[in-house]
Amino acid sequence: MSAPVIQESAEALARAVATGDRSATEVTGAFLAQADRTAPQLGTYLHRMAESALRDAEAIDRRRAKGERLGPLAGVPVALKDNICVRGVPTTCGSKILEGYRPPYDAHVVERLRAADAVIVGKTNCDEFAMGSSTENSAYQVTRNPWNLDCVPGGSSGGSAATVAALEAPLSLGSDTGGSVRQPAAFCGVYGLKPTYGAVSRYGLVAFASSLDQIGPFARSARDTALLQSAICGRDSRDTTSRADARPISLDTLERDLTGLRLGVPRAILDEAGEGLAPSIRATFESAISAYERAGASIVDVSLPHARYAIATYYLIAPAEASSNLARYDGVRYGVRRSESDLRGMYEATRGAGFGREVKRRILLGTYALSAGYYDAYYLRAQKVRTLIRKDFLDALALSDALLLPITPTPAFKIAEKSDDPLAMYLSDIFSIPASLAGVPALSFPASFDAAGLPIGLQLVGRPFEEETMLRVARAYENEHDAASRVPAIALADAGGAR
Amino acid sequence: MPIDVSVVRKVAALARLRIEPSEEERYARELGGILGFVEQLQALDVAGIEPTSQVTEGARPALRPDEVRACDAREEALAAAPERDGDYFKVPQVV
Repeated sequence: MSAPVIQESAEALARAVATGDRSATEVTGAFLAQADRTAPQLGTYLHRMAESALRDAEAIDRRRAKGERLGPLAGVPVALKDNICVRGVPTTCGSKILEGYRPPYDAHVVERLRAADAVIVGKTNCDEFAMGSSTENSAYQVTRNPWNLDCVPGGSSGGSAATVAALEAPLSLGSDTGGSVRQPAAFCGVYGLKPTYGAVSRYGLVAFASSLDQIGPFARSARDTALLQSAICGRDSRDTTSRADARPISLDTLERDLTGLRLGVPRAILDEAGEGLAPSIRATFESAISAYERAGASIVDVSLPHARYAIATYYLIAPAEASSNLARYDGVRYGVRRSESDLRGMYEATRGAGFGREVKRRILLGTYALSAGYYDAYYLRAQKVRTLIRKDFLDALALSDALLLPITPTPAFKIAEKSDDPLAMYLSDIFSIPASLAGVPALSFPASFDAAGLPIGLQLVGRPFEEETMLRVARAYENEHDAASRVPAIALADAGGAR
Repeated sequence: MPIDVSVVRKVAALARLRIEPSEEERYARELGGILGFVEQLQALDVAGIEPTSQVTEGARPALRPDEVRACDAREEALAAAPERDGDYFKVPQVV
């Protein structure tokens, strides 16, 4: 008997289902059973789709029995962050204002997953409207880190990261506006990719900050990340920013060695985190540079002189766009309404009762930054600084093929440790936000563990639409290190949920 | 940067967001903290720098033909409304 089903890669599972070595029903059933056991402890799901998942799996098995050729994700369970619409399935974005909402359509990525014969298993917990770095801003529940249940899984896509780490699903999707895929991936010891802006259609992704939002995959290996990204990328006429430049990634290319590859290291950015940078993160970063030198890459010193302004820039642009996008929650067409006798009172009461504190804070901040007299000083100025930040990245990536930098200043922090200090929470995004503003692709990969057994991730940043290069660089690391193959105790059945 | 509760009230009104009076002080303090933090951008010289509103700028906007297409979700969309009247979304009386 080989490894248990839930420890297999998505690639191996899809192959087994396509060749008939395993049935989609068996595979789906195994992951659903794991989630039955661990999801209640971890709080990973807001809505599970066990029944429809098994129905979908049976349909895939019937098609195979008829001799049909199956897609690249045949029978592979995939979990979705709860801001991705599935027709008829509750989609709340972790917000009370959308309690009970069932979208009347599927997101583009959902159509693509179904076309690839993946099986959608549920909607994962997240910070309300994807605003947060710990998933503590969900209006519904806390999600726990599978490596230490007292710690946060990161955010905002914390449920999607934790469910893959805990082997409840081999793959999941999240969304990344300022780091919401990469940071939870690092905290949970899995891969998390923010594709190039424009690589994946956002049709059916609930909008937060439209000039930044990207849907991105979580997986437990570089190859599985590539497999999922290949399934969802490409042009869709319903998102005008989506581009045909985004092409499927060749798994063969990921196996090429790094001889001749130029890895850019923007070392000065480490100083931006100051005292906040954990020694374990710095040590992992330095040892990865040595590992890459040994692997044949040449290390190039680069600089990102405006990256230090990224947080200030982001916390003007993202709330400004959010305040506009979230104007649609007015109690008229969907979601929850608070009745009042006049229209304006109904709007105000509905939004006041339906949004949580962090969302209100960002709406207020964004409205302020866009209001008369402040637009030029705040929003417009931030957009100009954004131009400088993007140019920094394109310059650095002209001298190198990919950049290596940390993704988080510390490993996962404790639940409630930072939830009372919004600015402290924002500052922890220092390494993830610059690439978001630049619109370039960025990947968080599992690199090591600290002394307390918490995962440490590192980040690769690539040229626009060169996700393949980053994944090849991550794959080379994976070949020499075991961080990606470790499994948290809670994911093993005989651990009985012990911490 | 100190923010007055009157500013919080004004911005909340612009955003159609009801803030409880007991919460105004806290939002004022938090907004002041964040706005103080973003003040650092004022130190940068951005003269002559074009603003970036979308990073796909320069690429041709991807447009599709503007044509009527079938929608099979009319009833589902209406059913999601907190209050409806036949084929209409219903709101409190305006005039």
